[in-house]
Amino acid sequence: MPLYICNSQKGALDDTSKPAIAQAITDIHCTVTGAPPIFVHVVFFEDAPIVPLQDNTLAVRGTIRKGRSDQQKDDIAQAIEAALVEHAQVEPHRAHAQIRETPASWVLEGGEIMPEPGEEAEWFAAQEARRQAVAES
Amino acid sequence: MINCMCVIQEGQAADQARAVLANKLSAFAQENLGEALQINWAPVAPGNGFTAGQPSTSSVVALTANQPVDQARREQLLRELVSMWSDETGCSVDEVVAVVSDPATH
Repeated sequence: MPLYICNSQKGALDDTSKPAIAQAITDIHCTVTGAPPIFVHVVFFEDAPIVPLQDNTLAVRGTIRKGRSDQQKDDIAQAIEAALVEHAQVEPHRAHAQIRETPASWVLEGGEIMPEPGEEAEWFAAQEARRQAVAES
Repeated sequence: MINCMCVIQEGQAADQARAVLANKLSAFAQENLGEALQINWAPVAPGNGFTAGQPSTSSVVALTANQPVDQARREQLLRELVSMWSDETGCSVDEVVAVVSDPATH
């Protein structure tokens, strides 16, 4: 978590644009929030009901940990829309991004409950300590 | 009806394994939350999943409970979900993201 789901009209994205968009979304999320890249998942679908396209060529729904400011969420959505326009070369009004929130405590990742925003360093340290303890037992 | 979204990598679980997983998830929901499960499968084609900007094989199982769940219970449910998913798909716990949400309150 975060999980960014990108839905597109069939054929709107080629195999070279998907890695570029995935990297752009990862960079945007990490720049705005300070979260580590390893938390950022991006998946792509075509004409899938999972994220309705409505009138758009591309639609991204990001589910991020709760606790970010409205400004941060707006910044992420706007930057992702700009990245979609750049990498998929769609008209700006055909690219849409929205951000939802989920409490970190509702998510298990890497075998552990996700840390609250800003508590990542302690989480990684605790996870590493647990892994070392298992390895030594 | 409890909703469950399963973002799964194509090829990570054969059709038969997916059917077994569906049965186990349904039994899990019935046993723990007392209600049937509606699974929405979202298979990710090869080359369409990324973590940290790199190709990945991560899966997501996201369940919305039919009642608020306290955190101790939620963590227990999450660990059971991940264990079940790993057993049936063969992926490691590092490749599984599990979510147990409370029902929407609006």
